[in-house]
Amino acid sequence: MATAPGVATPEEYVGDTLAREQTSLWADAWRRLRRNRLALVSTFILLLLVVVAIVSAFWTPFPIWRQSVGPTYDPPSLHHLLGTDQRGRDIFSRLMVGAQVSLQVGVGTQIIVAALGITVGLLAGYFRGWLDGIISTIINIFYGIPDLLVALILVLLLGRGLDKIIFAIAVTRWMDMARLVRGQTFALREREFVEAARASGTRPNKILSRHILPNALGPIIVQATFGVPQAILFEAFLSFLGLGVQPPTPSWGAMAADGFHALRIAPHIVLVPAIALSLTLMAFNFLGDGLRDALDPRQKR
Amino acid sequence: MTAPVLQVKDLKTQFFTDDGVVKAVDGVSFDLHPGETLGIVGESGCGKSVTALSILRLVQEPGRITNGQILFKGTDIVTMPDDDVRDIRGKDIAMIFQDPLSSLNPVLKVGYQIEEAMEAHTRISGKVALSRAIQLLKQVRIPAAESRVEDYPHQFSGGMRQRAMIAMGLANKPSILIADEPTTALDVTVQAQILELLRDLNQETKTAIILITHNMGVVAGLCKRVLVMYAGRIVEQGPVEQIFHDPQHPYTWSLLQSIPRLDADRKDRLLSIEGLPPDLIKPPSGCRFHPRCRFRIERCFHDDPSLMDVGPDQAAACWVTMRRALAQDGQARA
Repeated sequence: MATAPGVATPEEYVGDTLAREQTSLWADAWRRLRRNRLALVSTFILLLLVVVAIVSAFWTPFPIWRQSVGPTYDPPSLHHLLGTDQRGRDIFSRLMVGAQVSLQVGVGTQIIVAALGITVGLLAGYFRGWLDGIISTIINIFYGIPDLLVALILVLLLGRGLDKIIFAIAVTRWMDMARLVRGQTFALREREFVEAARASGTRPNKILSRHILPNALGPIIVQATFGVPQAILFEAFLSFLGLGVQPPTPSWGAMAADGFHALRIAPHIVLVPAIALSLTLMAFNFLGDGLRDALDPRQKR
Repeated sequence: MTAPVLQVKDLKTQFFTDDGVVKAVDGVSFDLHPGETLGIVGESGCGKSVTALSILRLVQEPGRITNGQILFKGTDIVTMPDDDVRDIRGKDIAMIFQDPLSSLNPVLKVGYQIEEAMEAHTRISGKVALSRAIQLLKQVRIPAAESRVEDYPHQFSGGMRQRAMIAMGLANKPSILIADEPTTALDVTVQAQILELLRDLNQETKTAIILITHNMGVVAGLCKRVLVMYAGRIVEQGPVEQIFHDPQHPYTWSLLQSIPRLDADRKDRLLSIEGLPPDLIKPPSGCRFHPRCRFRIERCFHDDPSLMDVGPDQAAACWVTMRRALAQDGQARA
């Protein structure tokens, strides 16, 4: 342009004097999330958990499978920070590896849940009609069957590997996501920018991936964040029943079950994994809450 | 005269609701010539928007086109396969909507949305698309277009958003641009700018424009020819000057009388049209406007008038017509 930089041309004055800060939706959400103390503390706890899980893949104070690294039922001491269990295994080491299992289960199931739920929800919500009818019926059927039953049958059929348990939990947990995405799509497909995209000849796959999905991402992230602790808890529950991860791989649920018979003499064996589990679940839930507030576009400031 | 680029023949679009069949568009026919500017006016619910959506076959369930032809350069859009209609949308016939904020995707950059409009129809590299997007933003007079392509819709003002929508509409150099109430959501000063822009672009690009509005003033500012719609039908059509100076349908006349004028006597009351638009599930017998018409005669109650020539290029669907009504009025006064 011919005018000197910084000098607005007369044209620029015409009704276009909006402040031009480059803020994207995500930057806005991040700013709001940082103001939320609980969510921030939760994020910190979860980051710590991730670090512990990664470290445990390479190093633990004691080998987790070796028995009698110390005396059995030993309370926390300097040598064994969180004591030992009924077989004399180091609980701290096992807790570290348990974090790995929990995170894998939590995140793994939500990846499957998201992939399945988003696809199914988008299709049902956008195309409606008979497709929506079929999908909604399937969702309702899955809601009708007790999730524990489905998970038990799948674990019995597939075996007890970590991947199989992740799959089994995802199968019982995808419906909430599908319903959420279906509802969001229902509302978004009526929005004018979707109509405008249709009017400019955009193909349905592009309307779904570029116009509807990005606008539904906020609620999807929140839903997935709340889904993680549910999945972790479900795995802990299955392991507590002895149907979870194959021993000797330590899962927090299995660890709690191990100490259950010795609750009177060595309560730390139950308490340690239980507290770790509670803290993790709480952190995920507070983070989910924080994300819900931060990603709500109606909330300014 | 050149062949029309668009011919709508006896179009009927109906909505099959639980309460009955809504005859939103009931036998509309018109031609649009290359580079022409055509206005469609009428009050809310008269079927003007549904007519526009029908042209691109964007009417959604429970709405359906039940009759008629929409010939675009000779081929019928009504019976075309879905993929072919999608090729026409945005490429040959583009459409812009009333509220530019809700018509732009809030999470995508403006430039990206313009590029997307192009990429829906042509294979071009990202670089070419970007420079074309900048060029289009310049064409719709957006200052500092080079940096504005990187902005999100919420960083644009209302007028700029509508300009961006128009840029998207023009991205594939369509032969027809349908503008559905393009200025209704904007400030009055910005309205004038947008109309001026549309007029300039019509001259520059020779794109025919169909302007849909309830505002007679907006039509006067842009269009050469106008269709007046009432209850799903065209009740009057003709050149804009003719319609403004010598309206023949009482409905058109009433619409014009309801515009406030600076040069009118302050004591003159503005004329409003009594009553509500008719129920399109069970439209009135005879002329659909007769329950609200101050000039109706006995015939209007049971006999449905069709469009009849009332002057050069001008047609009205009325048994009375203003010319005769005013003459009688004069006689009565004398």
